[in-house]
Amino acid sequence: MKFFSFPVLPFVFFAVGCAHSPDPAATLAPPLVSPPTRQVLIVSDPVQIPPNPAEMPVQSETRNVDEYGDIEVPEKVSREAKPEIADPLEPFNRAMYHFNDKLYFWLLKPVAQGYGKVVPEAARVGVSNFFANLAFPIRFVNCLLQANFEGAAAELGRFTINTLWGVGGFLDPASSKDIHLSKQDEDFGQTLGAYGIGQGFFINWPLFGPSSPRDTVGLVGDGFLTPYSYLSPWYAGAGTRGYDMVNDTSLKIGDYESLKGAAIDPYVAIRDAYVQYRLKKVNRKGGNTPAEDLELPKK
Amino acid sequence: MKSLKAIVIILFVILMAPGRAAAGGPFGSPQPVGKEAGGIHTGIGYWFHEDNYKNGTERVTRQNQVYSELGYGSRKGWEITVRVGMSDLKLIDAFSSTASTATSKTDFEEHGKFFSTLGAKGFYPFNQTFGMGAFIQGSYYFSDFTDNLSGTQSGAPFSVEVRVKNLWDVNFGMGFQATVPYGIKIYIGPYVHYSELKVSPSKDVVGAAFASGETTMKNKNVFGGFTGIEVPLAKGFRLNLEGQYTERLSAGAAVLYVY
Repeated sequence: MKFFSFPVLPFVFFAVGCAHSPDPAATLAPPLVSPPTRQVLIVSDPVQIPPNPAEMPVQSETRNVDEYGDIEVPEKVSREAKPEIADPLEPFNRAMYHFNDKLYFWLLKPVAQGYGKVVPEAARVGVSNFFANLAFPIRFVNCLLQANFEGAAAELGRFTINTLWGVGGFLDPASSKDIHLSKQDEDFGQTLGAYGIGQGFFINWPLFGPSSPRDTVGLVGDGFLTPYSYLSPWYAGAGTRGYDMVNDTSLKIGDYESLKGAAIDPYVAIRDAYVQYRLKKVNRKGGNTPAEDLELPKK
Repeated sequence: MKSLKAIVIILFVILMAPGRAAAGGPFGSPQPVGKEAGGIHTGIGYWFHEDNYKNGTERVTRQNQVYSELGYGSRKGWEITVRVGMSDLKLIDAFSSTASTATSKTDFEEHGKFFSTLGAKGFYPFNQTFGMGAFIQGSYYFSDFTDNLSGTQSGAPFSVEVRVKNLWDVNFGMGFQATVPYGIKIYIGPYVHYSELKVSPSKDVVGAAFASGETTMKNKNVFGGFTGIEVPLAKGFRLNLEGQYTERLSAGAAVLYVY
């Protein structure tokens, strides 16, 4: 149960960013959401986030003007569900957003930049691969819990190949063109979503970033399956997690800055992108989509 | 053809010459495992190894090694390889009883000690099919093997811890290779082997083998021969089987992955 203690550690402060992604590809708070900026704007509520005129593709508008001069809305976009999440804790969440934002810019980013200058990128990618391989139990168990046996087999194969022929996981031969076993990005929050449990409302945790009651429970479940949570003494596990996140951030510097720079209200953009991102992940394997997650935005 | 005949005769004489020692781990095909353009390979393997050591008396050692390897080869035909693995060690008849000393067991035995191997090789192709190469490879065991021995010496009971330490070996040799259809590589060659270990008891037991002061043992013979085959498998994997013929046979298999 030692892993319950690590969230309180200052080091984990910059060690934890995404409450849901055991994938080392996910970095701290800001970059918790991986969809590209453009995708964020598309899924955002147009009332809350007016489009940035500077970024509006003029050509695309003229291209969609019909013979009568009316602007045609592409069918795909008009039919696309724009999920929204309740945000009753918005004042708190906004405060935590600013807290995490400062944490990123004042602590995590400088540390990661310094680390990136000292350690070659190839080595950092190797470390990232190693931690991704270490997180195999999370992906494997959650594939099984979602009855995704094909995914579970792929994960088992990946773990075996990368551990044995990937020098303990530092290399990723399983993703090569020849073997082509792709990583199953599953976590306990997604499993709960696949079981039909809705997101609930939006929570922006300090240190852990965007989440929801469902995904917060998922985070605890994932904690049990994270091998280094069981390291003793407790600060060994926390330090390992911290190092993982610094390493990961060093490979993704600029992602959050792009997301933030492109949004009128970064808080809303991140919130909406988070909801969309999680919904997409839950739906990917054909899991049930809770009705409340598909609620259309209010006009 | 004459030169080929001469090579075959030389190899036959070398390999059939009496008194050879085995080495630690396979040498692999003379040609680098990696792609022709260069690159890395990884692998896992198992190696069964026997050797004869001597220092006054002769003792046979037996080891089972499992290892993981990482190699980098250049397109110019050279390659370096690092292996890390675990091995057991059995020193057969190390504690045999004498007239005045009775022991509880005869063999020294311990499991699971880390070792590392570093190797380098270069390859020169004659044509698309034949080629030859040279290699050097050495292993070192990071920790000591220990075993406890008890018994009676002239009626008095004793108990002693025996330690085998500083086990290392170095090998160098040359290999001749033929690449046959389906990309299968067959290779054979001679090599020179030197290995050494120290046996040290925690206290002296007069009359008991290896329980009287520190003893340095070296491999009995330095010349050996090896042969092997490397078969391409599916999806970038390769199977390597190799045997090293001596008074005793050492052999193993490895599955390699080429990036």
